[in-house]
Amino acid sequence: MRIRNVIQLHTVNRMQAFGWPLLIMLVSLAIVLVIGGLVINVATSQGAESLTEARQGMNTGMMFNGAIFALLGPLIGFGFTAMGQYFPLALGLGLTRREFATGTVLVFVFNAAFYAVIVTVGKVIEVATGGYGLGVRFFDVVYTGVGEWWQTLIQTFILILGVALVGAAITTAFHRWGQPFLWVFWIALAVVVVGILAGALLSEGFRGLVVDVAAMGWVPWMVVAAGIGAIGGAIWLALVRRAQAR
Amino acid sequence: MTAIVTTDLAKRYAEVNALDGVTLALEEHRIHGLLGRNGAGKTTLMKLLTGQVFASSGSMEVLGGDPVENVDVLSQTAFIQESQKYPDTFRPIDVLRIAAGAYPKWDQAYADRLVERFQLPTKRLIKKLSRGQLSGIGIVVGLASRAPLTFFDEPYLGLDAVARRMFYDELLHDFAEHPRTVVLSTHHIDEVANLLEHVVILDQGKVLLDADTDELHDAALTVSGRADDVDAFLAGREPLEHTRLGSLATATLAARDGDERAAREAGLDISPVSLQALFVHLTTANASATDPATPVATA
Repeated sequence: MRIRNVIQLHTVNRMQAFGWPLLIMLVSLAIVLVIGGLVINVATSQGAESLTEARQGMNTGMMFNGAIFALLGPLIGFGFTAMGQYFPLALGLGLTRREFATGTVLVFVFNAAFYAVIVTVGKVIEVATGGYGLGVRFFDVVYTGVGEWWQTLIQTFILILGVALVGAAITTAFHRWGQPFLWVFWIALAVVVVGILAGALLSEGFRGLVVDVAAMGWVPWMVVAAGIGAIGGAIWLALVRRAQAR
Repeated sequence: MTAIVTTDLAKRYAEVNALDGVTLALEEHRIHGLLGRNGAGKTTLMKLLTGQVFASSGSMEVLGGDPVENVDVLSQTAFIQESQKYPDTFRPIDVLRIAAGAYPKWDQAYADRLVERFQLPTKRLIKKLSRGQLSGIGIVVGLASRAPLTFFDEPYLGLDAVARRMFYDELLHDFAEHPRTVVLSTHHIDEVANLLEHVVILDQGKVLLDADTDELHDAALTVSGRADDVDAFLAGREPLEHTRLGSLATATLAARDGDERAAREAGLDISPVSLQALFVHLTTANASATDPATPVATA
């Protein structure tokens, strides 16, 4: 098996594979720090009480800070580009589908682990320094986990790996069935979302169920996220075996 | 030994039969021409033989095995296609690095020479390259891979005449030093006629002609002269093409023994038919055979 060639296919352009995501992450972090610095500067001029309030306010509000998606965004697209751009070239260079799938899964796992470690290290530093002395959050947010460091490590790993596998599955299905697949996919997703909203609005019992699900613990949520990733991965591996060059 | 054998190979899409019962046997260590009009099925055949798409029916054997998901076969097969897509963020040097790892017989020194000869900007983003420079990537990969079986599907789209000549020279020179099986698909038929040892013409998904080029030189001839003399010469025969201009006429027909002598005795001029002319005649005749609205002879 020429797995090494497939890994090389995904990583030959180091800047694209690692350089740009990390650079964009640093720029995004810098913007958050500048904003935090400005807020603290203004609060300092208004007295000690205001400064404490500003730190606490930012620390609470930034739990939902989406700036981390400057890093996660490109990684989410990784599954799409793997099938949309690398698969045709892999076949063109005489690599088999089995080799491509095996090598690509390894790249997905490595990427998820690599960036999960980066995010976890960032979170540990962020927590230890009280949000870099400003009370801001960048890594320690709900999307990557606000619990212990190991929870962030696991959560970020599952998130990145899951979206890569689901993205690859969606792209492969699109290649196979074309635009009708996308219509069916988005309509089905919309029906599910509207159904849940309607149920929550119209039925008190259903609303209670939704609240219970939303409030379930970290472990069940990780099981759900891992399950979605596993289903995406299984669908992708089944489809890629019969995928044809376009 | 045969490099490629297909039996009743077919590929059907929802609205079209791209290939319909193709049976072929291509010998190894030769340069084969795969000719046909647009949509004739050339690219589909090459994609089937390299396992990129799956056959609807029939069988195929490439280098002794089924090419589909066969590492032994595919690692010895290079497929250079004009429609090859590259990742947006790739540069030519990235493609060459991966190709160097994918092909066991890759010659890096030769690849470097070709890059220089074709003036390929290896560090420029591929999406910023011209059509000709894109073709240059394929040519370098196809030649430097030294794959025992190499398919070139319109490899020099966008290249000027000088660069195409360079490609022919490099192909011939490297083929002489490192014999391998080459299948070359092109619309520049006259330019490659001297390279080809064997020709397959596909038309509407079927094999229209499968012959060595030596045989083709004597396969047809063109006669010209006074229209009455040409008509008399053609009596009872179906020409591939028949053109009349005033009192003069020209006709191309499948040659039989004694035709040249008979034509000279009838006072007609004789000229050989080039591969390109034969291709045009055959495909035009086939089109008119399947479509009664298209006349073969033009008056």
